[in-house]
Amino acid sequence: MFELFEHTADLGLRVRADDRNGLFRDAGRGLFAMIVEPAPHGEPVERRTFSIDGDRDDFLLFDWLNELLYVFETERKLFGDFEVSISDRGLEARGSAFELDLRSYRLLREVKAITYHGLKVERTQDGWLAEVIVDI
Amino acid sequence: MGKRAYEGPLERVEECLWRIPKSYKPGMRVDGLIYANEELIRQIRNDQAPEQVANVAFLPGIQYASLAMPDIHWGYGFTIGGVCATDPTEGGVISPGGVGYDINCGVRLVRSNLELADVEPRLEKLVEALYVKVPAGVGRGGAYRFSDRQLRDLMAEGTGYLRKRGLATDSDIELTEARGCLRDAEPDRVSDRALSRGTQQCGTLGSGNHFLEVQVVDEVFDEEAATVLGLARDRVCVMIHSGSRGLGYQVCDDALKQLRGVPERYGIKLPDRQLACAPVDSPEGRDYLGAMCAAGNFAWCNRQLLMWQAREVFAQFFGRTWEELGMALVYDVAHNIAKLERHTIGGRERKVWVHRKGATRAFPPEHPEIPQSYRKIGQPVLIPGDMGTASWVLVGQHGSMERTFGTTCHGAGRAMSRTAALKASKGRRIDRELAERGVVARARSWRSLAEEQPAAYKDVDLVVDVVHRAGLSKKVARMRPLGVIKG
Repeated sequence: MFELFEHTADLGLRVRADDRNGLFRDAGRGLFAMIVEPAPHGEPVERRTFSIDGDRDDFLLFDWLNELLYVFETERKLFGDFEVSISDRGLEARGSAFELDLRSYRLLREVKAITYHGLKVERTQDGWLAEVIVDI
Repeated sequence: MGKRAYEGPLERVEECLWRIPKSYKPGMRVDGLIYANEELIRQIRNDQAPEQVANVAFLPGIQYASLAMPDIHWGYGFTIGGVCATDPTEGGVISPGGVGYDINCGVRLVRSNLELADVEPRLEKLVEALYVKVPAGVGRGGAYRFSDRQLRDLMAEGTGYLRKRGLATDSDIELTEARGCLRDAEPDRVSDRALSRGTQQCGTLGSGNHFLEVQVVDEVFDEEAATVLGLARDRVCVMIHSGSRGLGYQVCDDALKQLRGVPERYGIKLPDRQLACAPVDSPEGRDYLGAMCAAGNFAWCNRQLLMWQAREVFAQFFGRTWEELGMALVYDVAHNIAKLERHTIGGRERKVWVHRKGATRAFPPEHPEIPQSYRKIGQPVLIPGDMGTASWVLVGQHGSMERTFGTTCHGAGRAMSRTAALKASKGRRIDRELAERGVVARARSWRSLAEEQPAAYKDVDLVVDVVHRAGLSKKVARMRPLGVIKG
């Protein structure tokens, strides 16, 4: 589950999930929800695999979202959902990629960068929480 | 997060100057100094920007003060509107957060000999023509493509590279800050990832607060300076606000990643990890500097190509060449950059790295680095207003060299978050509201219009007034928008 939150010049993403895999999955979905509407749908054009090293959850989240942003910007691909697996070594994920067809999607805003500000990944009483601010 | 009020000290030093004494937090090497009037300082107290000014004072090698302009607002590590200078001979550092993600985000102003009466009857069609031709917005590739090899040459030479391709004139180069080229650029330090983001984006506007505006000179405050700059009441001009696009953001990203854990290795203690930095004379410092300068050159080329496309649109629309229309470049300034400059500190001349993040260089009359034709009046400073309200042209004054490392403000600064602006815009058509004020707006995303609405920004007239009174820069002319293109 994710929501957007207020931040002076930019935008925040807050994610809650039962476990870390779900947290990273929903963070990825939340990123694309900032960029386009509706959520990616229809026939995917490929299945993409991601593999990111890292032993710190916050930096791993950062690198994960950064990678998704890079693929979007350079290949014009959207992702709707992911299967994510986090271990002590890093992240493995798979997602279905959709073409950014401007007849099917409305572009909401340009996410220029993922920032380190207030970057947070932590356990809570009910599961996990992540927060990240993106530069618009 | 950035919304708690600042509760530390703010001592009034002068009518438009406030100090955070270095005794405020152990670790501050210098005072913080904020240029603002009473009204602005009340807004400034509302977020953590003054705290960030105090934090910047921790940086090794920082000289004189951690400075802030009246359009200051909260940013990543450094405020937007922040200025600091570090001396490499004193272990001075370079910090990507002191430049910003959008390296060499800046502004250029193009004049013309068209008058309001020439443009007003056909304004909507002119704005449409610009909207069609000038790439703006998310996922919009540009009309110009560069191979990796070409991009590296472009980043090494800046606007000079485009002159070789017939896309810039000698005068365009002469009238760009740093002549559109930072000599410390090292394109080989720019990652392949950054190149792949930049390859289709040179000559594109981007989105957020970037824009291309058709403007008219509304009021002239300094006739002599306006004449030198080719501006007069009711003359039409074009203002472009854009930066280094995805390439620059990636360079900043790469540097911040490389700097993870680095300050600690150099024994640098920081109150905020977003002040991540390295000594200028270190491998990490040199890596960032070389790449930052290369990205800066990319941004100048970006604005040059945006101007070139605007010139082509005007030429086709009015049936005359852009030269016949008098569409000469007035000037181009960077407002997110770090530059090695000579400044007098404590009576001694030193070379320091001046970080300007949301702040504009404002060199005074007779400074050798400004174009010959402007030496009598001072360096032009271009202040982009927010959508629907005024932009300004100022000229640098001696006060800036004495007080702020040759720097002045850059714009209005945000007063309202994007989500608040969106909420405030529910049920409203911002483009219609602008039309009622005589401004034709075209944006690729309605959200962009709503989030950038005029109420989201502080009052630029107030900001400009403060820097004028403080002797940093002097008012020359104010322009109002006729038409605006946004991403």
